Amino acid sequence: MVRRLHFAICIFLMSILCGCSQSYRWNQSHPSYKKAPEGSIAVTGLDEAFVVTRSSWFAKKLEISKDSIQTFTSNFCSKAFLEELRKAYASVTVIPDAAINHFPEESQKLDSRIFMKGHLPEQGVVVKDSSGNVPPYILIIHEFILGTDLQREDFYDYALIHNEAPEKKTSKNLSAIVSYTLWDNEKQRPLYSAVNQVDQPNVKLSLADITQIVASSVKQIKRNLTAGVQ
Amino acid sequence: MKRFILAILIFACSIFADNVFFHNHWTLWKDADVLIWSTDKSPALDPKEFCLSLKRNNMGIGEPKCRLAGEWERDSIAVLYAGWLLANMDNNVKPEHLRARHPAMVTRIQSVEDKLVLFIGNRDGEIYAATFDENSAEPVAAGSFSNTGDKIALGDKIAAAFFDGHTTRRLSKAERAKRMTEPDESYKEIPGFQGWAGIAVGYSQAQIPLTPDNWYSSHTRSRVRNYRITKDSASLWNFIEDSDPQMALYAGGTWYGFIGAELMYRYAYHKVKTDNQDTIYQELSYWGFHQHEVGINVVLSRTYTYTKWFKTTPFAFIGFQYSFFVEDIGLKDDKKPHSKAYDVRIKFEDSYKGALVGIGNHFIFFNHYGLGVRAGISSRGRNIEEDPSPEAAAEPTTIGSSTIDCFINLGLEYHFSM
Repeated sequence: MVRRLHFAICIFLMSILCGCSQSYRWNQSHPSYKKAPEGSIAVTGLDEAFVVTRSSWFAKKLEISKDSIQTFTSNFCSKAFLEELRKAYASVTVIPDAAINHFPEESQKLDSRIFMKGHLPEQGVVVKDSSGNVPPYILIIHEFILGTDLQREDFYDYALIHNEAPEKKTSKNLSAIVSYTLWDNEKQRPLYSAVNQVDQPNVKLSLADITQIVASSVKQIKRNLTAGVQ
Repeated sequence: MKRFILAILIFACSIFADNVFFHNHWTLWKDADVLIWSTDKSPALDPKEFCLSLKRNNMGIGEPKCRLAGEWERDSIAVLYAGWLLANMDNNVKPEHLRARHPAMVTRIQSVEDKLVLFIGNRDGEIYAATFDENSAEPVAAGSFSNTGDKIALGDKIAAAFFDGHTTRRLSKAERAKRMTEPDESYKEIPGFQGWAGIAVGYSQAQIPLTPDNWYSSHTRSRVRNYRITKDSASLWNFIEDSDPQMALYAGGTWYGFIGAELMYRYAYHKVKTDNQDTIYQELSYWGFHQHEVGINVVLSRTYTYTKWFKTTPFAFIGFQYSFFVEDIGLKDDKKPHSKAYDVRIKFEDSYKGALVGIGNHFIFFNHYGLGVRAGISSRGRNIEEDPSPEAAAEPTTIGSSTIDCFINLGLEYHFSM
């Protein structure tokens, strides 16, 4: 009986401690987000969104020269992303970054301290694809950060972003952080915005690992888009 | 029956047709300058008629001026935003979902000064309206109204929905310029010293409210026999009446609106609780004690200003006091020889030292005239500054070594600041 009581007190104290720790809200839905896109989607931001942190580590592991690692991984991830997206949606339209890059960069607030930045189309202006059609939904990828043992709050919590990186870099996990917005192209409003993080145990880095983490990131985006419906 | 159904239908329509999405607090100017902004070919509102609607709806609005916002209607960015706004206004949106994002549009909204912009648009046969003021880039109120084609009726409905309430006088150019250079009220420096002096009447009793009666009954029910005999002498309330009116004088001040000190003097008169069954008191005319108390309090306070002429300062105080009990006794006929017990009657200590703690509030009108309310608990104990005598053990317990009461005061005050 006494042991049970101790256990209960312990659980109680732990829950208080957990309650005190910082918790973030990582997504934001528009009240009019009633239906997630199915079947067809347009995507933009794939040209410039992908960034690799610790590029020399990646270069060494993948045996690619340091100078070209960013370009190489960016292209590689972009292709992997699109490939996975095509598996998830029957029709995927790619809109070049240039279509929205000329709009000013704005920040979107997800939580009291979480802000994500990105280009959003102007109010009243529809974005057209290369053949002149107006896609109803556009998935705008703002940033896709690939690295090891990353925490998304280090990039998006404004109170933490100026912190110095820790001295000792670890590589237990391969991490991918992606910030994106599902854009309602017809009414020019952000339907769903979020920052996702995927961690994947890092055994021996190969291109297959990168393909895998990009794929799981896409799957998570699709899951979140469905879960975010109001 | 048909008429009845028709009446119900009309009633239902009038409830559901007009729908205010949100209506935040905003400043409605007297003699308002209203810009009616619409991208429709023929706006659903007529400026002149709308002005009359405003006057009919709100007597305090003065002489409003209404006109079409021509400059807004011709601006291409504003046109884009207007189209977007009309498409996005909906029952479930909050103001932030309708915020203008284009920097040029934001600047345009923020430069309306004290004019009011009323956006009107026709979507699917329904009239959507939103109002903007200069303080933010999002509408302060929005709603939808049924379109009957009657401009006057629509104007009345919009006026009633958005332009109701208290109006504020608009500032002239000169006043506005002066206001810009004035320091912000919120950053106003608190005067270095705020002082007050007051006179108060009050009441004190041994029993602290919300505490059980039996904590005090042994003291309050006690009677004095033979000029000195009681069950217990720890509290003065064994000898004298505890619930009596009191009078207080006080003066004090706070520094930086936060910490201060206060000197106070209190007076009360307590009758001795003589045992009526004791025949020895037949010789006694009156017997009581004047209670004089002087003390000093530390005051912690904070001032809240509500209007220019009214503020309140809640405070808490803790302090110490000296209490003096001056006996007032008289026999019925002084010439008669009095009893021996009279000569050896109870004597209180020369002075008692105690503490007091409590809370209160100053209600200050026109910066100077105040009403003060305070309540607290005060104690009187033996004066520990005196060394105990060598025969202390043999002496009886000090009379009134633990005398506690609670008090409440209402005072008239004068406040000043330096």
